[in-house]
Amino acid sequence: MISFKNVNKWFGDLHVLQDINLEVAQGEVVVICGPSGSGKSTLIRCVNRLEPIQEGELVVDNTPVHNKKTNLTKIRAEIGFIFQAFNLYPHMTALENVTIAPMKVKRIQKKEAEKLGRETLTKVGLGDRIEQYPAQLSGGQEQRVAIARGLCMNPKIMLFDEPTSALDPEMISEVLDVMRDLAMGGMTMMVVTHEMGFAREVADRVVFMDEGKIIEVAPPEDFFKNPQTVRGKAFLTSILDH
Amino acid sequence: MWSFYLKELIHSLPFFLDGLLVTVQVSGLSLIAGTIIGFICGILRASGNKFVRFIIGAWVDLIRGTPFLVQIFIIFFILPEVGIELEAFPAAVIALSNLAASFICEIVAGGILSVPSEQKEAATASGLSGYQQMRYIVFPQAMRTILPPLVGQYVLTIKDSSLVSAIGVMDVTRAGWLTVQRIPEGLMVFGLVGLLYFAVCYPLINFSGYLERRMNYENTKL
Repeated sequence: MISFKNVNKWFGDLHVLQDINLEVAQGEVVVICGPSGSGKSTLIRCVNRLEPIQEGELVVDNTPVHNKKTNLTKIRAEIGFIFQAFNLYPHMTALENVTIAPMKVKRIQKKEAEKLGRETLTKVGLGDRIEQYPAQLSGGQEQRVAIARGLCMNPKIMLFDEPTSALDPEMISEVLDVMRDLAMGGMTMMVVTHEMGFAREVADRVVFMDEGKIIEVAPPEDFFKNPQTVRGKAFLTSILDH
Repeated sequence: MWSFYLKELIHSLPFFLDGLLVTVQVSGLSLIAGTIIGFICGILRASGNKFVRFIIGAWVDLIRGTPFLVQIFIIFFILPEVGIELEAFPAAVIALSNLAASFICEIVAGGILSVPSEQKEAATASGLSGYQQMRYIVFPQAMRTILPPLVGQYVLTIKDSSLVSAIGVMDVTRAGWLTVQRIPEGLMVFGLVGLLYFAVCYPLINFSGYLERRMNYENTKL
């Protein structure tokens, strides 16, 4: 579904992604972890070309993403992206937030889009909040609206960039529950997160990154119990001890 | 003597009201043109290519860095030297539109740039085109920042229009000039002129204040 082949990326002189090779199969849930600045966010931001790459090949659903001829709108419509800071549109209600892209990108009729929006918001547990503005919602609710916004495009892939890092602790589980349901439903997901409980339970594989490189790829039970690299061990010690 | 002049002044009130009408016409036309040009330039300045941004920036600096009176003189007295002959009224409207446009351009560009880039990023990620992002996501949010100073700029433009009297446009300021030669009570005559400007500007000042409170309220609403 998603395939990185020798992907390299630089921010100026900084080599932020170094020879990335990774295959994500359809329906697979891959959790990406690693210390801050290791390139995890950049990695998933390349998948829908929020960031360009300078070398290598990145193929999503048989389409090369970083090709000038690629129809980016079509690719992006198939990939939901969830931001750490939610990035909801503050001037729109929850329902308007989730229906704008289906209406404007997919050209779905307003009535139909609103029906879809209501259903999706209900699915993430916000059926009673559809007319509220982001400022009237809690962080956990905002992030669930953001997930619903992604789901309304009926995506093949969902990317999560630290979806719970900006949340108060008591709100983290409501977001993780929604993500768990998605994973159970067979969604292809790449999740950058520090929620190791979630990774252990939901991920098919854990990708550990450091300094722009993929250091280790393993099923969660192997990675957490028995990391193969020194850096992996050090990382796990640091996050489990805090 | 004072009451005689007052009577005379009241007698010439229609003359002042004609002048006020011209002031409103010059300002109104300039505000319409200035708003349209200002918004186009502001949007280009905030999102256009480097060269376009540079050209607009240079124009804005030039207009903001020179006295309006000099700009009026250039348009009215110097353009005829190169064969562009203009009546006082259109020259005034062109000069004032140009001035208003340059200020409005800055207000609009500032408003657009005040919208966090994450908003654009979220819209990009969901597949909205550049135009759609501007139309549905960025611009509506920018308008909250733009509206209060925009109305404030309208007030400033109406007051700046008094300078076009210098090239003989029969606006309310010029009505004052002419009248004060007949009725040598400067305080009384220009008091009336000031009052007439105030009558036009005050509702706008209130409107600007209202918008500012409303936009703040919206932004900080629970």
